[in-house]
Amino acid sequence: MKPTLILVGADKGGVGKTTVSRALLDFFARKNVLTRAFDTENPRGTLKRFYPAISEIIDLGNVAHQMKVLDTMETANVPVTVVDLKAGNMSYALDMFDRIGVLEAARAGVFNLGLFHVIGPSIASLDEIAEIAKYMPGVNYVVARNFINETNFFEWDAATQRKYFAAIPKAQEIAVPKLNEMAYEQVDLAGVTFKDFIDNQAADGSPGKFSFVLRGYVRKWCSEIDEQFAHVKLVQDLLTGGRAPQVQ
Amino acid sequence: MLVDYLLLDGHDPFIIDANVPEGHLRSVFPGRTALVDFDQVQGQMTMFDTILGSLGRDYVIDIPAPQSEHFFASLKELNFAEEATRVGFQLVVLFIVDKDFASLNAAEDVRAAIAPNLLIPVRNAYVGSVLGSAQNGLMIDMPILDREVMSIVEDRRFSLRAFVLGDESRLSPPASKKLKIFLLAVLSAFGDIEPALSLSRLKNG
Repeated sequence: MKPTLILVGADKGGVGKTTVSRALLDFFARKNVLTRAFDTENPRGTLKRFYPAISEIIDLGNVAHQMKVLDTMETANVPVTVVDLKAGNMSYALDMFDRIGVLEAARAGVFNLGLFHVIGPSIASLDEIAEIAKYMPGVNYVVARNFINETNFFEWDAATQRKYFAAIPKAQEIAVPKLNEMAYEQVDLAGVTFKDFIDNQAADGSPGKFSFVLRGYVRKWCSEIDEQFAHVKLVQDLLTGGRAPQVQ
Repeated sequence: MLVDYLLLDGHDPFIIDANVPEGHLRSVFPGRTALVDFDQVQGQMTMFDTILGSLGRDYVIDIPAPQSEHFFASLKELNFAEEATRVGFQLVVLFIVDKDFASLNAAEDVRAAIAPNLLIPVRNAYVGSVLGSAQNGLMIDMPILDREVMSIVEDRRFSLRAFVLGDESRLSPPASKKLKIFLLAVLSAFGDIEPALSLSRLKNG
């Protein structure tokens, strides 16, 4: 199967981009899909705190680091590479990938490429979609609305949706559900993955002492977000190995 | 009464009273009662984390009727029954079934949702019940108790335990007799819970 490169980006900070990256990594771990991750929030990336074994902090502007990500996709023996793009740098990253031929390689079928675009709650976020639309042919594009903090999002009417997605006809949309604030804080404080928090496992592998109630809330949230991810075609292809589902 | 029965039977129960802010049980059993607001996550944590963090003890949770649906939905959502069973608890639900068929349906919903080791319907003669006499399994009947006697019993200074153990000083002889008849019915039924649990364990392997 072709390797898969998933970019997670946002054109502003604070919309929950890294949370979406963590949720994706957690999802793949729970589905036993081998994954590696690169955090471009150089030098203080968050992903490495939660996924030390599979994450690396890089500077995407550095050629050697670009090579580390892209040149090893086929040889790393890990089918999925997740790159958490620096907040505010999504358009820059896409432009760079376009210039160095990454987008063309994806269109040519060398690997699968997906972009999870995490947008903010205001309608101005829709302009971000218009800005990056030119890069999206051949890319599995997913708009992610992050409700983890119960943000009130603008409502999309059909006309607005058609207008902005006209240039990205195969765009998909997911909603990251709300997670109880205390549960989210405790996972963060513990410095463990969502899965390990649910399993009551501390960062050093020893049994944790996490609240049963908060673990329950996280378990429920993971189950809800699994449903969201499972609708994404790119993810479906990964889970089925690119095979069409068997008709029963 | 259940707590008094457990204490009389030599148990050491801890009570979780969700009747905020009144907390009647806490006033009757100070020192072994936590008052929690189940609508708040902190309250849920106090309840469930306390129970799962201190094993080997009996817990009595008193849930007010308006919170019943939310409580059992949370139990199911959090997989509490499964976790509690895993660490050695047996789950017994005493559910008051009144004259409204909705309460009977609610009891069945609870049974389906959390599959307790025992769900015991309770008929309170004072409010009436849709349940008839012919029921399979254990059922607890609370007879009507004289209002005057009830008001004395509900006073937190009155100790049911002390009364059962022989202290009848706070009641007149007629009142004392009425209370004894009442308690005979209820405490006998409580005494059937443990054998019913054993039978349930045998049936379910």
